[in-house]
Amino acid sequence: MLLFAIPLGITLALSFGTTDDFGNAIYGWHPENYEQAFDPLFLPVLLRSVGFALATVGICLAIGYPVAYYIARFGGRYKHVLIALVVLPFFVNYLVRTYAWVALLADEGLVNGVITDAGIRDEGVRFLNTSWAVIGGLVYGYLAFMILPVYAALDRMDPALIEAGKDLYGTRWQTFRNVTMPATFQGVLAGAVLVFLPAVGDFVSAQLLGGPGTYMVGNLIQQQFLGAENWPFGAALTTVLMAFLAVWMILYLRSAARAAREATA
Amino acid sequence: MRPPKDFDRPRFLPAFTALVFVFLFAPIALVALFSFNSNRSLQNFEGFSFEWYQRFFENESLRDSLVASLQIAFATMLVATALGTTLAFGLVRARTRWAGSANVLMLIPLVTPEIVAAVSALILFTQIGMQLSLTTIVIAHITFSISYVTVVVRARLAALNPEVENAALDLGATRLGTLRLVTLPELWPAIVAAALLVFALSFDDFVISFFTTGESPQPLPVRIYSAIRFGVTPTINAIGTLMLAFSALLICIAIALPRLVGRRESGLGVLVGRQAA
Repeated sequence: MLLFAIPLGITLALSFGTTDDFGNAIYGWHPENYEQAFDPLFLPVLLRSVGFALATVGICLAIGYPVAYYIARFGGRYKHVLIALVVLPFFVNYLVRTYAWVALLADEGLVNGVITDAGIRDEGVRFLNTSWAVIGGLVYGYLAFMILPVYAALDRMDPALIEAGKDLYGTRWQTFRNVTMPATFQGVLAGAVLVFLPAVGDFVSAQLLGGPGTYMVGNLIQQQFLGAENWPFGAALTTVLMAFLAVWMILYLRSAARAAREATA
Repeated sequence: MRPPKDFDRPRFLPAFTALVFVFLFAPIALVALFSFNSNRSLQNFEGFSFEWYQRFFENESLRDSLVASLQIAFATMLVATALGTTLAFGLVRARTRWAGSANVLMLIPLVTPEIVAAVSALILFTQIGMQLSLTTIVIAHITFSISYVTVVVRARLAALNPEVENAALDLGATRLGTLRLVTLPELWPAIVAAALLVFALSFDDFVISFFTTGESPQPLPVRIYSAIRFGVTPTINAIGTLMLAFSALLICIAIALPRLVGRRESGLGVLVGRQAA
């Protein structure tokens, strides 16, 4: 019981460390930090972060669902190999992966080299410092978080259900919409939250693939702590971010808890 | 009669999946390829050379960073694995009314965005007057790693048949003897997989290290970050490729180990199960 209590106490203290960081006596209580966070100067950054993260979730779903579907339904005995291949790049350092895109998309990068060499355009295309580059980096960074839970949901699903859909003269699309989609909704939800949470707080992609025009809240927070040295404002931004994300986290934890209960029942 | 197999298999699906795999692997493959390029260009592959690897190993401060990263990952692995395994025992075996909420609380560090964890750690360390150093990074890493260990070990522990342990106790084994001779041998593939996972996560971590690092030596990812900000250089290709090879090696060990000792479930299944939870 003691062995149980001590590490749990540590974990508890540490997990609460993420939320109680603003009640610091030294920094006092300055609500104006929060007003500043919603200042017209910074509000667009917050909105942009949410927008980028939502776009990332959407694209990850559009890319990830078909891939998960293919592996789960038609992977056959290569299923596990294929899913391992999905996970593998995810273990490559996120910085290095983002850097790979910088190298590819830079003005003197490989893609522009191909474009100019092939004579498609005389000048290269400017990829970096655009919103799409940042969103692309986020998609590349977090795609596995979408594929895995969707794959798990599809894998659990009884394929006979799909056959039944066909036997009942459903079209492919009707079967997918009325049978497959509802059956995998939990997986999609889990995937969406798992992608959204890290994406909205990310600053690496925006820093390396974007520019000041595409900064996200993570960049702002990082500047407050390691650049501008305005810690209270940074802490306020972090708290706003955390409060916003807490809603999603609770949503996810509840669905995870329900899944755990169903698994044990 | 089986329905025709292509009923829910639109023709674009295999091609699409293949494309996504190209999307996933091409950038990494290119980094690895160009790390052997003999000139600085990122557009033309001129010839094969180890120049950039040589530069990396000749650079003393980069070497220090590598050593620092390895030390951090090793220390994190040891402490987090021990604490996380203990916690898993507590969560599975203790039948208290808190066990349910503890199971959920334990997931919180897994879904907390890194930047939030990093900022809180930084504030905490400065509040209690701790000098930022390798130690602070290790503490911050342990914080988020414990949960991973617990999730992985707990899954295996919950699958154990408690009657085997009871049988050992009935046969006169002490509690410690049962743990050593019965429980741990069943558990250790999961523990090793968790330890390797933590090592990889800690070694690769950038955000938390970035916020909690001292002046020097800085861990490798932090160094890479500052280098990338100043532009693309082939030395980063070399470092990236080394880290890639290293991570791949760890994954292979995690997958292969349980097989080598004759267990049917693979370490990867344990790791993937963590995502599906």
